[in-house]
Amino acid sequence: MTVSEQTSRREVHVPGDGHMWVMVLGDLVIFGGYFIVFMIYRSMNPDAFLAAQQHLNITIGVVNTVILLTSSWFVARAVLCVRGGDPDRAVRLLWGGAVCGAAFMVLKCYEWFREIVAGQTNSDMFYSFYYVITGVHLIHVLMGLIVLGVLVRELRNPGRRRLSLVESGATYWHMVDLLWVIIFALLYVMR
Amino acid sequence: MTSERTITWTWLVLVAITLGSWWLAPAHSRGVASASVVVTCVVLGLALIKARLIIRNFMEVRSAPGWLKLATDAWLGVLVVSVLVIYLI
Repeated sequence: MTVSEQTSRREVHVPGDGHMWVMVLGDLVIFGGYFIVFMIYRSMNPDAFLAAQQHLNITIGVVNTVILLTSSWFVARAVLCVRGGDPDRAVRLLWGGAVCGAAFMVLKCYEWFREIVAGQTNSDMFYSFYYVITGVHLIHVLMGLIVLGVLVRELRNPGRRRLSLVESGATYWHMVDLLWVIIFALLYVMR
Repeated sequence: MTSERTITWTWLVLVAITLGSWWLAPAHSRGVASASVVVTCVVLGLALIKARLIIRNFMEVRSAPGWLKLATDAWLGVLVVSVLVIYLI
């Protein structure tokens, strides 16, 4: 089935592969569990959590959020390009998304370095949540970068261009973005 | 199906909300930040809007079957309500 045939198939359709959605929904539930546990610990000692939270650099958090949102903007448009039969532009957009993802990782590592040098370590309950949650998320960003790399490789080969694969990869990448938006709200902004 | 225009508008709104969070954050205030139910409710409301925009417009759940819309909305709803209830009690 060609890309255009797949597109015109139907209006209602599952973006990507059903198995990818099982994984994404499972991942969302697991992260949801982390967030609930974080909130329970936070509610036991809200003042200490708030005081520790104040040491986070909100500017780095905001910049990283914008970077990840921008990467999703690139990747979402890449899906449209594949659908519209322009794989070359899709590859360029995926590269844009990957560069943003890499920038997110670099900035996150710098943020950790800053916090550790400033003495914010796992001994503090807020920071132990901070390192675990952002660390597990960072691993997801890394896996997302590998996924984007696979998509670029497949799109470069005319015989291997599959819309559902690109949609699945994009869905995974947007999940990384989605989780970060919640992490940003809970760890950086709420009081 | 999603259009490029929808995707770009979604991105602009998401970035605008994120920049708005800048001045709500406790690290921004000098001295000791105080707990604020109002700020927390606004933050959770904005996070809900952002998350749903990503799910519906970026992940294209808007044009997905009902079960996927229901599953993602249920996840988001249960999460935000649970966080709020734990915060308030």
